[in-house]
Amino acid sequence: MITASQKPINEIAELVEPYKKVLILGCGTCVKTCFAGGEDEVAVLASVLRLKFKKMARSIEIEELTIERQCENEFIQEASSGVDRNDAILSLACGAGVQAMAKRFAKKVVLPGVNTSFIGIQESPGIFTEECSGCGNCGLATFGGICPVTRCSKKLLNGPCGGSQKGLCEIDPDTPCAWHLIIERLTTLGQLDNLKTYIPPKNWNTSLSGGPRKLIREDHII
Amino acid sequence: MKIHNKPKLTLFHCLNSFKETASMFDGCEVKTVKMACSSMTKDVHLLRAFESGADAVLVLVCREKACRYAEGSIRAEKRVNYVKTILDDIGMDGKRLNIFNTSSKDSGSINDIIKKTLLELEIIGPNPALNHFN
Amino acid sequence: MKTLSRLHEKLSNGEFAVTGECGPPRGSSKEVIQKKIKLLNGFVDAVNVTDNQTAIVRMSSIAASAHLVAQGLEPVMQMVVRDRNRIAIQSDILGAYSLGIKNILCLSGDHQKFGSQPDAMNVFDIDSINLVRTVKDMRDKGKDMSGFDLDVAPRMFIGAAANPFADPFEYRVIRLAKKIDAGADFIQTQCIYNMDRFREWIRQAADEGLADKVYILGGVTPLKSAGMARYMNNKVAGMDIPEEIIKRMDGIDKKNQADEGIKICLETIQELKEMDGVHGVHIMAIEWEEAVGLIVEQAGLK
Repeated sequence: MITASQKPINEIAELVEPYKKVLILGCGTCVKTCFAGGEDEVAVLASVLRLKFKKMARSIEIEELTIERQCENEFIQEASSGVDRNDAILSLACGAGVQAMAKRFAKKVVLPGVNTSFIGIQESPGIFTEECSGCGNCGLATFGGICPVTRCSKKLLNGPCGGSQKGLCEIDPDTPCAWHLIIERLTTLGQLDNLKTYIPPKNWNTSLSGGPRKLIREDHII
Repeated sequence: MKIHNKPKLTLFHCLNSFKETASMFDGCEVKTVKMACSSMTKDVHLLRAFESGADAVLVLVCREKACRYAEGSIRAEKRVNYVKTILDDIGMDGKRLNIFNTSSKDSGSINDIIKKTLLELEIIGPNPALNHFN
Repeated sequence: MKTLSRLHEKLSNGEFAVTGECGPPRGSSKEVIQKKIKLLNGFVDAVNVTDNQTAIVRMSSIAASAHLVAQGLEPVMQMVVRDRNRIAIQSDILGAYSLGIKNILCLSGDHQKFGSQPDAMNVFDIDSINLVRTVKDMRDKGKDMSGFDLDVAPRMFIGAAANPFADPFEYRVIRLAKKIDAGADFIQTQCIYNMDRFREWIRQAADEGLADKVYILGGVTPLKSAGMARYMNNKVAGMDIPEEIIKRMDGIDKKNQADEGIKICLETIQELKEMDGVHGVHIMAIEWEEAVGLIVEQAGLK
C-alpha cells in the first residue's frame, strides 16, 4: 500500500483559509488503511477545522466525502457534485490521488491534506514500514525477498557495510540492517551462496531517475 | 477568566464506570453519553462534543484491569491523548479533555472529578471555539 | 568593491567581455587540455570548463580548470547539480577555490538519459538556483549550508545560465530574476541564432529592471555546416535556429559552409556589441577551438 500521514493541522488550516466552502475528500483504499485519509480521518479533520475556524471567528463551510479511490476516474466521478458545490478540495489521498483530482477537475483548486510517504506494509498494528521503492527492476529473488535498494540505508547491492552491528543499521538503532535480514533469510532458505554473487551497478533508468515513468498496456488501450 | 454561564460538560462513560447520583451535577450542565465499552470512545465524538458547546469533556472508563473487554480502557486513553494534542495544536487547550478510571460504585471520586474539572475551567475559561457565537 | 576575478574586473570596467569554452577530454590527458589552452589563451578573458556536458564522463571540470589556472588562463568552472549532492557540491567549491578557480557557472546539467550512461542514478539534490545561492552564501556570509563558519570563504564570481529560447517564453525573465535574486553576478545565455527573440528577451529583462543588476554575456556558436545547424535545431533541447539561417547555410557550397558559419557568428556578435544590456559574448566553439581566435580578431574584440 501507499502510506501517508496527515499534515499538521495548522498547515492544513493555512491551506484552506482562503476558501469559504471546502470539500474534505477522503480516499477509501491505502490512506484509509494507514489512518491518514479514510472517512474516520475526514470526520475528525472536518470537526477540528470547524473548531479552529470558529475559534478564529472565521466562518467556513466544510463538506465531507470519502470515495473508494481517488486515483481512478470511475470513483472520482462520484465526487463531482460535491466538487462543484465547493471552492476548493482538500484531498486526503496520496499524491497520485491529489493529482488525479486536479487532472479531472481542471478549474478547481485541489489541496493536499496528507504527506505521502512510501510503499509499505503494516508490520504490526499502527506500525508501517517501507518495503519497496518502485525501482522498476526487481531483484528480490536474489536477496531472499528482502529489498536492499529500499531497506539498506546506503542502497548497497553487495552489502552489508561496515556500519552494521548486532543486526542494526548505523543510522539508527530502530532500523534493522537489511543485509543482516537478507543473510538470515538466505540461511533459512539454504541459499547463502547468493551472497557470493557479484551484483553489478544497477540500471536506474527504470527508476524515477530515468525521468517520470509511464506504463503502457497496449492490449488494454482501445 | 470567570465563567458567567453555567459551564457545560459532556461526559462519556462505559456501562460499568459511572452511575448518576443526586446533586452530582450541581453548578454545571452535563450531557452524558453511555457507551457499551470505553473502546467505543472515538476521536470524532470527543471533538463533536466540543463543537456542540462543551467547555470540558470527560471520559470515564473502568480501571485497566477491570475492563471487561481487556483493552477498552487502554484504547480510550490513547484516543483521548491523541485528541488532547489536537486541541493543543489548535489552541483549544487539551486540558479541557480528560479521562479517568472510575467505578459506578464509587460516586465520591466521580464527584471529585467533576468538582476538579469545574475548578480547572475557572482557570482555562470556556470553550474558545464558541466565544464568538454564544 | 574589490573584483573577484579578471572576468569580473573586465565587466565592472564596462568593457565588452569575451569568454570561450573548453570541453575536457574523455580521458586523463593533460595534453589535450593544454592544446586547447594554447588555442584560446590571449583571445578570451576567461574560459568555461564544462562539467561532464551531455552527461558523458570526462575529466572533471575542477581538474581541467586547475590546468587552465596553471597556464595563466582564467577558468569559469561549470558545475552541474546532476551528479553531486549538496555535500559534494560544497566540498568541490571549497577545493576549487583553493586551486585558484575564481569563476563558477551554476547549472542543472543535461539529464543523463542523453549521455553515454543512461543507467546512472541522478542526484538533483538542489537545483541550479539553490546552487547559486549556496555559492553566494559561502562567499558573502562565509558559511556553508549548515551555517558552519568557513575558515576561508570561496570568493567566487558567480554565473548562471539563461535560455531565452526555451518555452514558455513569458516565464524566462521571471526565472532570470530568480537567478539574479539568488546571487548570480553574470549570465551566459544559450546560443543566439534567433536575434528577434533574444532582443525581445533583453527588452523584457530591462523592463523588469534586471539589466543593471547582472552582466549578460550572449552565447554564440559558430555553425560548422548546414547539417550541424539542422542537427542542433532538431536534437538539442532548447535550441532555436530559424529556418533562414539553415537555408543560408544550405545555399553555400559544402566546403565553404564553415566560413559562412563564422560570418553568421560575427554578425551576431556585432549586434550584441551594439545592444543595450549585453555586456559580453560567450563563444562556444564546440570542438572547434581554432575558430575562437579568428572570431575574436575579426570581431575586433582583441
